Amino acid sequence: MTEKNGLPNMPFRLNRRQIISGMAALGAVAGSRNALAQKRIIVPEGEFTPLPIAIPNFVAGTPGDAEVGVGVSQVITNNLKRSGLFAPIDQAAFIERISNIDAAPQFQSWKTINAQALVTGRMTRQGDGRLKAEFRLWDVNTAQQLTGQQYFTSPEYWRRIAHIISDQIYERLTGEKGYFDSRVVFVDETGPKERRVKRLAMMDQDGANVRYLTKGSDLVLTPRFSPSTQEITYMEFGQGDPRVYLFNIETGQREIVGNFPGMSFSPRFSPDGQRVIMSLQQGGNSNLFVMDLRSKTTTRLTDTPAIDTSPSYAPDGSKICFESDRGGKPQIYVMPATGGAAQRISFGEGSYSTPVWSPRGDYIAFTKQGGGQFAIGIMKTDGSGERILTAGFHNEGPTFAPNGRVLMFFREPGGGGGPSLFTIDISGRNELRVPTPGFASDPAWSPLLS
Amino acid sequence: MKVKVDKTLVASVVLHVLVLGWTMVSFSTRALEMAPEDSVPVDVVSPDQLAHIMAGMKTGKKENPKPLVDKIAEAKPVDDAVGKISEKAPPVVNETAPPPQPKIEEKPVEKKPDPPKVVEKPKEEPKPVEKKPDPVKPDPIAEAIKKEEKKPPPKPVAVKPPEPAKPKIVERHYDQTQIAALLDKRDPTRQAATGDTLNSNAALGTSKGAAADNSATWGAMFKQQVERCWKKPYGGIEAQRSEAVFNIRLKRDGSLEGMPVPEGTPSTPYLRVYQESALRAIIECQPYKLPAAFFEEWKYFAPVFTEQKT
Repeated sequence: MTEKNGLPNMPFRLNRRQIISGMAALGAVAGSRNALAQKRIIVPEGEFTPLPIAIPNFVAGTPGDAEVGVGVSQVITNNLKRSGLFAPIDQAAFIERISNIDAAPQFQSWKTINAQALVTGRMTRQGDGRLKAEFRLWDVNTAQQLTGQQYFTSPEYWRRIAHIISDQIYERLTGEKGYFDSRVVFVDETGPKERRVKRLAMMDQDGANVRYLTKGSDLVLTPRFSPSTQEITYMEFGQGDPRVYLFNIETGQREIVGNFPGMSFSPRFSPDGQRVIMSLQQGGNSNLFVMDLRSKTTTRLTDTPAIDTSPSYAPDGSKICFESDRGGKPQIYVMPATGGAAQRISFGEGSYSTPVWSPRGDYIAFTKQGGGQFAIGIMKTDGSGERILTAGFHNEGPTFAPNGRVLMFFREPGGGGGPSLFTIDISGRNELRVPTPGFASDPAWSPLLS
Repeated sequence: MKVKVDKTLVASVVLHVLVLGWTMVSFSTRALEMAPEDSVPVDVVSPDQLAHIMAGMKTGKKENPKPLVDKIAEAKPVDDAVGKISEKAPPVVNETAPPPQPKIEEKPVEKKPDPPKVVEKPKEEPKPVEKKPDPVKPDPIAEAIKKEEKKPPPKPVAVKPPEPAKPKIVERHYDQTQIAALLDKRDPTRQAATGDTLNSNAALGTSKGAAADNSATWGAMFKQQVERCWKKPYGGIEAQRSEAVFNIRLKRDGSLEGMPVPEGTPSTPYLRVYQESALRAIIECQPYKLPAAFFEEWKYFAPVFTEQKT
């Protein structure tokens, strides 16, 4: 009761001014954090520039290892340079000579030649005949080791060791997986145009170690690697209808995939390697089928009065992109891997063909024909963000590097020449010819070997 | 047993809860934490704006340990183009309500300072006397001031104002070359304010604290230099949202006092590489050539390397 009596005499009221001033006081406290923070200077303009990197010859562990030491550093230098992301510094500019990779280098002498990264390494023949490869990657400016590894291998695989080290360096300095320890299978073409001999061939991604897998008596097309990299599926024109074959790289054995009445073509492995998806001819049309390699059962995926071909799995195996002329002109469609409704995703001028899904899952590469030119391009998997990377008389058959950053394709210049292989970054930069012994077409990039 | 609760107490509690709740919600949003826009020095600043920026806060320290501006020379005396300008300064004539008020409200009194009127001496003298009652009535502000001062307006007004006016008006002369100054009726003290007398109190400044912000100048110089060393890693065509922030301390000679300290830990391999590339650039490009006059500003700051287009 006393409280009740006392309060009316002292009414507590907040007028608007008091509330606002209270808010302002709180605001001042909240804002003081910003006021005390130091000045932020935005540096937004930096353009991409290849990273200057020094790669001295690997130190020889024994006198007999000098040659392989030079070879490894050359392969690494070539890989990094071809990637377009690094600018290896000419060895003639080096001030310090690396003789012991266990001691820290004299960073000042590498700063002087503007190197930002330094690779030191050593090759040593072991008592058991194996080759030991060690390397260290240094950040010159912070004088810190970024990574270091050692490997043991048979001496004849020194190039693979160099590719693996290249991948390590690439990944540490770009934040992306590398792609150097991989192979490419392609169709090697020799002879005059009328009587061109086409053989299945395989090489390292840099064009070295070319091996021929077929003799060239029969025409081969569209070779594709299995995820295990031990098998290749391709189409071959034999005595009868063209057939899809499986070829084991290690054993050299080959077998026909299924026994179908008509032509089978455009094969490609599923991401798990357990199935092969392909086109089967049915009259004037062709439809997509998938065959389980263990049970040999075949499932139809499309049933349209049109030509459905060039299927390619998404890396998670859930969807398929393919080419179809069901809408009139060849266009790219996407549908569930089990079949069902297909959705068209290409809507630009011209026609689209040979779609292939990136191993990263973010893009679909394609060949686009229109305006008298063949172009290589990419688009997002919903069809948006189409980008043409290169265009010309005849460019075709894109295939992604294992990291999804680079495309390889073949190009015919027209006239009397034959096709050659090229690589290009998915941003359209750094177009490079891949060295091959003769003409080459239909490349397919393997996954990483290790 | 009924417990009686006072309504006003309840209202008070509810109001407190509402106000505090509202402030917690609203001040916790990110939008309010956005850094204020950087002020860019411009040439044209009105006296009012300048006064507002330099006003400081009531909570600022009153004492001034050292002058805010290095004294490099004696402040120039204001060039009083026309004798009359200095007259305006002493508005002490509070007691006489009429003189200050006419400036705003009354047309006839405005004529007083005009140079052409110099000739019409006799006219001016009688005016203030005649108009005395008029200004008081229409202007409520003036009325309020008068009430506070509680001084009878009519008596002193009649005698004082005309006397001091006389001798000075005689000294005036019309100079055609200084017509701009004649038209300029702003208070002349703005010129004297450019010396060490400006903002003599070391106030905390406004909430933006941008009074001494020269970062547009030295920041651009820093950017230009560090960009030359920045070998930005290639992030493909979709890596557009990378950002690396460092806290760096520089010595007077522009070299790093210590290793730059990155803010936060990169969440992806690419962001780590991006941050490392920026770190390399900061180290490689030192020493930085920055204006020594702003050392206090650039001795500790945070460069932000970013792909985000601003």
